[in-house]
Amino acid sequence: MSVVLELLLADARTPTGGHAHSGGLEAALAAGLTLTEVPAFIRARLRTVGRVEAAIAASAARAATVDELLDLELELAARTPAEPLRRASGALGAGLLRTACAWWPSAQPLTGYRAAGSLTLRPVALGAVARAAALAPVAAARLSLYDDAAIVASAAVKLTALDAAVASGWLVSLAPEIDELVAAAAGDGVLPSSSTPLLDRRAVAHAIAERRLFVS
Amino acid sequence: MGTGKSSLIATLCRKLAGELELGVVTNDIYTDEDARFLRAEGVLPAARIEAVQTGCCPHTAIRDDISANLLAVEELERTQGPLSVVFIESGGDNLTAAFSPALADTQIFVLDCAGGDDVPRKGGPGVTRADLLVINKVDLAPYVGASVELMLSDARAQRGSREVIALSLRDDGSVESLTAWARAQLVSWRAGTLSPVDPGPPAPHVHDSSV
Repeated sequence: MSVVLELLLADARTPTGGHAHSGGLEAALAAGLTLTEVPAFIRARLRTVGRVEAAIAASAARAATVDELLDLELELAARTPAEPLRRASGALGAGLLRTACAWWPSAQPLTGYRAAGSLTLRPVALGAVARAAALAPVAAARLSLYDDAAIVASAAVKLTALDAAVASGWLVSLAPEIDELVAAAAGDGVLPSSSTPLLDRRAVAHAIAERRLFVS
Repeated sequence: MGTGKSSLIATLCRKLAGELELGVVTNDIYTDEDARFLRAEGVLPAARIEAVQTGCCPHTAIRDDISANLLAVEELERTQGPLSVVFIESGGDNLTAAFSPALADTQIFVLDCAGGDDVPRKGGPGVTRADLLVINKVDLAPYVGASVELMLSDARAQRGSREVIALSLRDDGSVESLTAWARAQLVSWRAGTLSPVDPGPPAPHVHDSSV
């Protein structure tokens, strides 16, 4: 395995369409979340949807067949009740698959999963890509959790009056906690079911909101 | 911003929809305003118009990370069947905006003569190297003190043999020039002779004039 490939997959400059998403932050701010509460918002995401998606990503990195990936996709879809969030995750997964399949056009089950024309939820795609990159399941979990936090922090710079050094500093503070969640998510192959009804409800409202900047 | 991109696309749709299977993808700063405008114009069935949201990064979405736009085009073709032409409208704009050649086979850069007649002289990748430069709203020139002649001569000096059209959507002759250009691009694409050209990078650079 190459650590460089893990860095490449964590890099926001790798084209996957992530710049159009805020991890629910735009809707949360509209609902009254204050700037000082954003780190707690990120932490809440990590412990709930972040943890679920990381476990799915790690399991997808272990999956040797397209069918196993499709099963994981159903598991995650069942844990993602808000349709706009399934759609957003699907778009991000499709963007990631497009780029990764250009790198490894004959990797399996990666290309077979893309060709299956399913929901292409991002954590499942991420796991499949991690496997094609010969990364361990724990790397897939780490990429998933890191991205969950980083997407909110970078969107915060666009949505609030904020120094980007402060926003990235949140990630520095959260790093030990992310490391712990990574180890737990990659550990035993059990899929948690933590849910976030408020995020789900806001996501549905956000999808029809006027003057929003971010898809999700 | 406000140079008339959406109206130009609406006009092309109105003129070409009878002969071609068309689709439109809009890139908006906020929600789907441009897509709504085009749907309200009634130039195409609403399902033929897709909106991409760019999360405050309109340039990124058409150049550095075109994932969402490619997905939107694929979605249009999946739901609407094979399309002859998909127009992709950029979101917002400034002089450094340019489409990736992986997204656009040919591209139009639109200036508005009410935005200042010195803009062609300032250059930038779109002004200098887009396949077509449109100087729009030339009917407004007398009211805003702009010289269309100056804009055209500056643009031609920047662009060499690349085409420039002075457009007024109220002037059928200029609209006919625009649609003729679009048809010619399609003919060239179908003949396999249209190579997407990258007008970027945004940084100034010099082309050897002997090439």
